[in-house]
Amino acid sequence: MAPAAPPSTSEASCARGRSAFALDRALLYDLADIALTGARQNGASYADVRIGETRREYAFAKDDRLESFDERASQGFGIRVLLDGCWGFYGARRLDPQSLRDGVERALENARAVKRIQTQPIALERLPVHEAEWIMPMGVDPFEVSASEKADLLLSIIASARDHGADFCSASLSATCEERFFANSLGSRIHQTRTRVAPNFQATAIDRASGRFATRECLAPARGAGWDYIVGAGLIEEAARAGEDARAKLGAKPVTPGDYDVVIDPTNLWLTIHETVGHSTELDRVLGWEANFAGTSFVKPHMLNKLQFGSELMTIVADRAQPGALATIGFDDDGAPAEAAEFAIVEKGVFRNFQMALGQAHLIGLSHSNGCAYADSPTTFPIQRMPNISLKPNPQKCSFNDLISDVENGIYVVGAGSWSIDQQRDNFQFGGQLFYEIRNGQLGDLLRDGAYQGRTTQFWNSLAGLCDASAYHLDGTFTCGKAEPVQVAPVSHGSPPALFRNVRVLNTSDDA
Amino acid sequence: MFLSSDDAKSIADKALTRSKADACAVHIQGGLDQSLRFARGGATTNLATAEAALRISSHIGGRIGSCSISRFDDAALAGAVARSEEIARMLPVDPDYVAPLGPQNYGFSDRYDDATANLRLDALADAAARVIEEGARIGVDTFGCATTARRFDAYATSAGLFAYERRSEIDLSATARNRADAWSGWAGAHQFFADRLDAEAIARVACAKGAHDATPVDLEPGAYTVVLEPEATTELAFWLIRTMEARAADEGRSFFARPGGGALLGEKLFDEKLTIRVDPADPLAPEAAVGYEGVPHRARAFVENGVVTTLYRSRAWAQKTESEPIPFAQNFVMSGGDVSLDDMVRSVRRGVLVTRFWYTNIVDRKSLLLTGLTRDGNFLIENGRIVAPMRNMRFNQRLGELFSNIKALGPTRRTWRAAGEGGAPAAPAMLVEGFNFSSKSSGI
Repeated sequence: MAPAAPPSTSEASCARGRSAFALDRALLYDLADIALTGARQNGASYADVRIGETRREYAFAKDDRLESFDERASQGFGIRVLLDGCWGFYGARRLDPQSLRDGVERALENARAVKRIQTQPIALERLPVHEAEWIMPMGVDPFEVSASEKADLLLSIIASARDHGADFCSASLSATCEERFFANSLGSRIHQTRTRVAPNFQATAIDRASGRFATRECLAPARGAGWDYIVGAGLIEEAARAGEDARAKLGAKPVTPGDYDVVIDPTNLWLTIHETVGHSTELDRVLGWEANFAGTSFVKPHMLNKLQFGSELMTIVADRAQPGALATIGFDDDGAPAEAAEFAIVEKGVFRNFQMALGQAHLIGLSHSNGCAYADSPTTFPIQRMPNISLKPNPQKCSFNDLISDVENGIYVVGAGSWSIDQQRDNFQFGGQLFYEIRNGQLGDLLRDGAYQGRTTQFWNSLAGLCDASAYHLDGTFTCGKAEPVQVAPVSHGSPPALFRNVRVLNTSDDA
Repeated sequence: MFLSSDDAKSIADKALTRSKADACAVHIQGGLDQSLRFARGGATTNLATAEAALRISSHIGGRIGSCSISRFDDAALAGAVARSEEIARMLPVDPDYVAPLGPQNYGFSDRYDDATANLRLDALADAAARVIEEGARIGVDTFGCATTARRFDAYATSAGLFAYERRSEIDLSATARNRADAWSGWAGAHQFFADRLDAEAIARVACAKGAHDATPVDLEPGAYTVVLEPEATTELAFWLIRTMEARAADEGRSFFARPGGGALLGEKLFDEKLTIRVDPADPLAPEAAVGYEGVPHRARAFVENGVVTTLYRSRAWAQKTESEPIPFAQNFVMSGGDVSLDDMVRSVRRGVLVTRFWYTNIVDRKSLLLTGLTRDGNFLIENGRIVAPMRNMRFNQRLGELFSNIKALGPTRRTWRAAGEGGAPAAPAMLVEGFNFSSKSSGI
């Protein structure tokens, strides 16, 4: 069933203007028309096309040498057709009229090929029509900064860590710019671009006599931002602290395993939110579409508005418009606007919404998608991916000292370490970069070899305290993996420091 | 976009001819990937994607700048050459600079078949249909993915190297869940030649594993005897072999570091039943002939009868340590034994049969402590018989201890990897005692 087309809307660009787009507008419209006209003429009830360019830059240094400096630019398109209730998709790294014509034929051929196993025809919900531009607000374009400046920064980060206790250090800088043009057979034409950057380093200290070593990784997060974010991130100072921390970890007290009140810093909690809430509330997983790979979920449709996911302090919101966040964009890869992706997933502890992409909402009785589609390249099939998903701060005033003041015997966890969670997003085990004692309401000594383990709803129902917005911090990753073939997606998660009661803490050296 | 050797050489030569650098290296890779996913007995997503990219690395005064592009027309090539040279000039001199490789002698890796390379999506629909039909026949829901790929890699340098390799691939994996959504089974395979992929067998095994109506039993955390099917063994062996890097060991940042300095090469660190080899000529799991940085893969053991015999070494680290460069391997063969899976189960008084693992991750690099969970076919063994499906568990297990405590090995067989990655690991079923399950999981 083809969706009915609502009236079209037209929106203006939000930022710097058309000069930020590299691809020629007239060419994009012409190529899109070739694809969509070809699809319609051959019987497709719906079709869309993504055309784009991705630029990437990656610089990596280790100790006193820059190991690699690489720039990448790739262009391509992907055509998706719905023919007789079957999807067909074809993508290629070419942008010329004949490639688009060939692409339509292959997409239609693929749709025909799957018909024999399409037991239930694909049906689509109502899609709004937009003609729009969106450009991510950004300061300094990272691709305009010289390679020498980036190399100098990396080698300075490494020197700083080594001057402060690290025996070895590696460091990297990543930048990505995605330009995407989306058009569909309903009339949408959307042109967007966004940029993101990620600093990283790892400082290692070694005790040669014992053979032990300890590492401390960068705590500055990846962001949807420009070079000015990198400059302002204080990476050289943080590397100095990392060198000291790595050295201190060698002599730190081992964690005594047991159940603790755990205070989790946003630099660690983002990943816990991502794994336990972000992935468990993806409707494609719930429907079984990821059962063979990324897994399903313990959350089921009948739990909507009923499941007590966490304590009353827990409100988690999805937001595709959050400034500086990695999944921020004007429209998703189905053409749904960012406003659709502003919703509560958990509200005061109660589960309220799944994340959805096109073709899913009607399966649980809803009328439209909520803007959660993403394709990691124009040449890949768009699937359901997270918008930015964040834990709201405490509306009541609460500082970090207030938060730990009633913790008698606890542990404070900083930075993301190793991570693992079961395929239904229940049993998890997360490490960290730094663990500190909390004794009688005060922060104490550094500990080593910690990790915490739990079950998702039990953990979130043990949420007993939250800092206010003054301690809110946005973290995230460039590379969340999902689907077959694997696609990687950028996503941010914000939170304040949070207190959880009676969490099982392991010693990864002795208590594994 | 799939290029022949001649076409790849012609493009590489154009780039090399334009170079004004001291030296230059070109890597072109690409191909066509097709995949079809299905769930609850029907198609969900499919795609065919043709891609290719060229990376040019310009060497100027002991500095290397690189640029990658996806268009190969003259203007794009000229732009990439110029930009890579511009980047190189802006960089600091590399104290461990290594010049591009000259001509090499490569072996032959038999990984390409025209019939497999020319498959279209309807072949994947056929494979998926086998699984769906088997699921319908025995009353389980089926989910899965089938993929084909044809890929090429070409290396060329201004020092006279030209190397070209191609491969065809097909994989099929299937998950079956009972209608109560309370139990799950899995099977999968990957081959370079489509006629060696047995879709019927994959469908049969996955559906049989998923067709259990009994409520899964819970096991208390603790140390148990486990029988690991080959996919589970592969997962653990992968983590071992990917940590076998010389530089990390030499620098004291690895399980393979000797206290006081140096690497634990030549030491017997594992059970003598453990042998892991890499070999482009292996008929079961051939590694590529051309390795990372253009270094040839040679037949060699990384672990032989429990002794560590080889560690990976980059060209820069090999030059610095005056030793041989050893490229990273995508593929390996873990030697097996002659004990059948059934005999292993018969020998267990109380233990667990594990089909595969999920979300494994290194927790501690020094001790090679790995965590993860069982998934899709976990069974309780009592008195030599499988008595019930068993809920999944998290494990925390040191790999050094695990591979030092092998009680029996089955015949080695190829295990599943997703097509497109070029992976072809082979491993046996393995019986191990004292496997540390640390907590329960409700995940089915």
